[in-house]
Amino acid sequence: MITVSQDQQLDRRRMALKQISSNKCFGGLQKVFEHVSVELNCKMKFAVYLPPKAETGKCPALYWLSGLICTEQNFVSKSGYHQAASEHGFFVIAPDASPRGCNVKGEDESWDFGAGAGFYVDATEDPWKTNYRMYSYVTEELPQLINANFPVDPQRTSIFGHGALICALKNPGKYKSVSAFAPICNPVFCSWGKKAFSGYLGKDQSKWKAYNATHLVKSYPDSQLDILIDQGKDDRFLLDEQLLPDNFIAACTERKIPVAFRLQEGCDHSYYFISTFITDHIRHHAKYLNA
Amino acid sequence: MEEESGEELGLDRSTPKDFHFYHMDLYDSEDRPQLFPEENPRMRKEVVQAETANESTGAGDGKAQSDLREEVEELVHLYGLEDDHELGDEFVDENMPKMGVSEYPPYGMKRRDPAREQRDWRLSGEAAEAEDLGFGGWGSAGQCQDLREVYRYTHGRASEEYECYVIPEEEDEEEAADVFCVTCKTPIRAFQKVFDEHKEHEVIPLSEALESAKDEIHKNMYKLEKQIIDMENFANHLEEVFITVEENFGKQEQNFESHYNEILETLAQKYEEKIQALGEKKKERLEALYGQLVSCGENLDTCKELMETIEEMCHEEKVDFIKDAVAMADRLGKFLKTKTDVEISAQPDFEDQTLDFSDVEQLMDSINTIPAPSAPVINPQAPNSATGSSVRVCWSLYSDDTVESYQLSYRPVQDSSPGKDQAEFTVTIKETYCSVTDLVPNTQYEFWVTAHNRAGPSPSSERAVYVTAPSPPIIKTKEIRSCEEAVLICWESGNLNPVDSYTVELTQAESPEASGVTESVVGIPTCESLVQLQPGQSYIIYVRALNMGGPSVRSEPATVHTIGSYFRLNKDTCHPWLAISQDGLTIIRSERSTPRREPPPSDTRFTRCVAVMGNLIPVRGHHYWEVEVNEHLDYTVGVAFEDVPKQEDLGANCLSWCMRHTFASSRHKYEFLHNRTTPDIRITVPPKKIGILLDYENSKLSFFNVDLSQHLYTFSCQLHKFVHPCFSLEKPGCLKIHNGISMPKHVTFY
Repeated sequence: MITVSQDQQLDRRRMALKQISSNKCFGGLQKVFEHVSVELNCKMKFAVYLPPKAETGKCPALYWLSGLICTEQNFVSKSGYHQAASEHGFFVIAPDASPRGCNVKGEDESWDFGAGAGFYVDATEDPWKTNYRMYSYVTEELPQLINANFPVDPQRTSIFGHGALICALKNPGKYKSVSAFAPICNPVFCSWGKKAFSGYLGKDQSKWKAYNATHLVKSYPDSQLDILIDQGKDDRFLLDEQLLPDNFIAACTERKIPVAFRLQEGCDHSYYFISTFITDHIRHHAKYLNA
Repeated sequence: MEEESGEELGLDRSTPKDFHFYHMDLYDSEDRPQLFPEENPRMRKEVVQAETANESTGAGDGKAQSDLREEVEELVHLYGLEDDHELGDEFVDENMPKMGVSEYPPYGMKRRDPAREQRDWRLSGEAAEAEDLGFGGWGSAGQCQDLREVYRYTHGRASEEYECYVIPEEEDEEEAADVFCVTCKTPIRAFQKVFDEHKEHEVIPLSEALESAKDEIHKNMYKLEKQIIDMENFANHLEEVFITVEENFGKQEQNFESHYNEILETLAQKYEEKIQALGEKKKERLEALYGQLVSCGENLDTCKELMETIEEMCHEEKVDFIKDAVAMADRLGKFLKTKTDVEISAQPDFEDQTLDFSDVEQLMDSINTIPAPSAPVINPQAPNSATGSSVRVCWSLYSDDTVESYQLSYRPVQDSSPGKDQAEFTVTIKETYCSVTDLVPNTQYEFWVTAHNRAGPSPSSERAVYVTAPSPPIIKTKEIRSCEEAVLICWESGNLNPVDSYTVELTQAESPEASGVTESVVGIPTCESLVQLQPGQSYIIYVRALNMGGPSVRSEPATVHTIGSYFRLNKDTCHPWLAISQDGLTIIRSERSTPRREPPPSDTRFTRCVAVMGNLIPVRGHHYWEVEVNEHLDYTVGVAFEDVPKQEDLGANCLSWCMRHTFASSRHKYEFLHNRTTPDIRITVPPKKIGILLDYENSKLSFFNVDLSQHLYTFSCQLHKFVHPCFSLEKPGCLKIHNGISMPKHVTFY
């Protein structure tokens, strides 16, 4: 990383933000910005919701990590989170799910690997390692950018969504709370995970553990982390054993990590399911962010 | 024109030296009430005449104008003349400022704003006229105005000349005394202060002096008024006393008169009786003596006759003599045999007669005493005059009566055993009231009273029923239920007979009892009350019972904390296999080999499900409580309507909402049951303490893992009635309830 003074760094990042859109929503503003990511070596878009309370003071930041095939747009347009975020006074930051347009060979070949499927890992294998560093992007670069440009309270940060469990479990204390919708809980045992991890991380499966929620739980220090997971009972990926929540629950039960896992009758893997329970999740985070 | 000029001359004459005082003299002098109070109306009348005349003729007519002018000028002239010889300048000087000062703006301001000054001048004049205060100054100002107006009408342009004369008035007043020398107690002109004898004196603005003087006068007037009222009252009082004295003495006179008449009558009667008795006795004796005298005379006659007969016989012949002598001897013998009573049957002196005057004496005495009093009037019981063991009985006497003592008798009123006479009690007192003690609480007593004096007792008064205050109620401390906003308090009456109502008194415990404000809820007809309270406080609560006689003393206090919700388990609902601890907060199902005989079905008691219900206060707010559980225990906690079927499991119907935990083959299962259905929820850390939040406002029931602040599940439930906490134990073990605790922050998000 280039050594520059913090101020210069902040200036550079502030300058780098380019507003793509801005829409009034529940008293706040739903915006999309574009910037050049240092970690990802490409232009990245992210969505950010500015709550009405941000006009008068610093607000907590809640990061949403989208699942496979998503861009920053899916969550902001489909989940209906705005009202709850407005009421609780949260910034909600939704980055894209992967780098885009990096001209990596094979990045657009399949929907579950490459573009749109970054899996929030830092790739170590060629040709992915130059751009596919989503883990560092969402846990380091993006928060710094947000903290520098918006009135957020860095001490009050939470995360939810697809990669949220890994980010939270790998960074004890960094996030006040975590929640997820139908997460891939044990990627080393599912076909998605095997494909992605072998591509990004190589054949050595011991390296995969670093991005395996079920494994990370086992080494998670005994600090408080209240995990809320909603899972549709009719989710075809659950039935295909891509998600494997039972493994995660068993690990948490063994390690006494508190999880409330709610298997929702009749729900699938869609944003209809997410929008049904998004308010519960935002309240779950509010309990810790606004405590 | 001649007249006009003459008039001007006259005016000049009136104020030869000081021009400024000219019109003062002209218009004002007449009105000084102290000099010519009777002249004021006259002058007014004339002015009014002038005005009306002016109006009728109209300003346009030259002839009429001149006529009027003459009239008015005459008037003015007249006053000018009158002034001239009646009043001097000094007099004006002294009096005028007092009239003007309070009403007029300060000197400096007038100087700067003559137009305003003019306005003020008019205003004050008109106002004074309207008010008709009777002060010479005010009246004169108004009249001045009138006259000026008259001039304006009559003179047209010429009136301006008069304006010239009029305007200086203000200046004149300004130069008049405008401050008050406190030392000399006199008003002076401001410039005098500088070089006169007032140089060293304290001066204050005249208006101030005037105000203080007015204040002083008002104060004195007030005092006088008060004194007048007092004296009038006193006079009225004296009058009353006067009448009373007259009445009383009149009564006394009548009293004496009737008594003396009575005594005299009695004496006369006695005299008559005596005289009659004496006469009879005399007659009797005389008659007796007369009888004796008569018989004595008869005897004497007989003796004489016998003597004569014997003497005649002695002169008779022997034969005859003998014959006669024998007969004579017989006759003599007979005669001599008859007793000659020479004892006096009646004594001339009469026996010692003692006169009995005792009744007279009594009558004499009774002049100084009074007749026996009439029956006193016993008052009905005054409200709040009784205590639990005493009543205060009052009565009154007729004002004419003199009473030495009263006898108050009473006995308890009891309908139940009329045959058995209740003991009667009697006390003797001097006063017209008596506090009767050692009575039974909340009991009716019948009272009657007699008045006594030397003449004897009065008849008995009517009987009045008094009632003692009730005994204090007894708060059922174990049944107190509370929440943040209210308390439901129950008590036992403490009285066998019904009472009228109850009063609940509450004091905030934080404030010391002496200064603590006591709130009261009055008129409670039943033995329970739901009282609204402030959250987060401690209260000390007392209950009193009330009846006609008054309130009981306070019950023993009960302390209530409005922190969280507080309830106890309802033993009436408790399944027979469950035991409830002494404090009503722990449920125990013991390990014993229970006789698996199901108890008979019941509406209140759980018979199948081994459960018990709590008594939550019926308030539609937030209620939060916690249950300590063993993580291997099978338990169900939640809420249910009071009429939940007692034969069914909790959560097996639409009248209950519960969280059930079952532990089987080392797996924990958590169900959130309502109407036999549960969502599929997995919880990785078994709670050791479950928090339950019942929120009527949002129709929600939430469960939490207290130690982790973890939200477990929230029911949305339609709570059309009040629900109560319920608990059941499917296996031996125990549940410990914690309540009366404030809601943790994290639960407020649900």
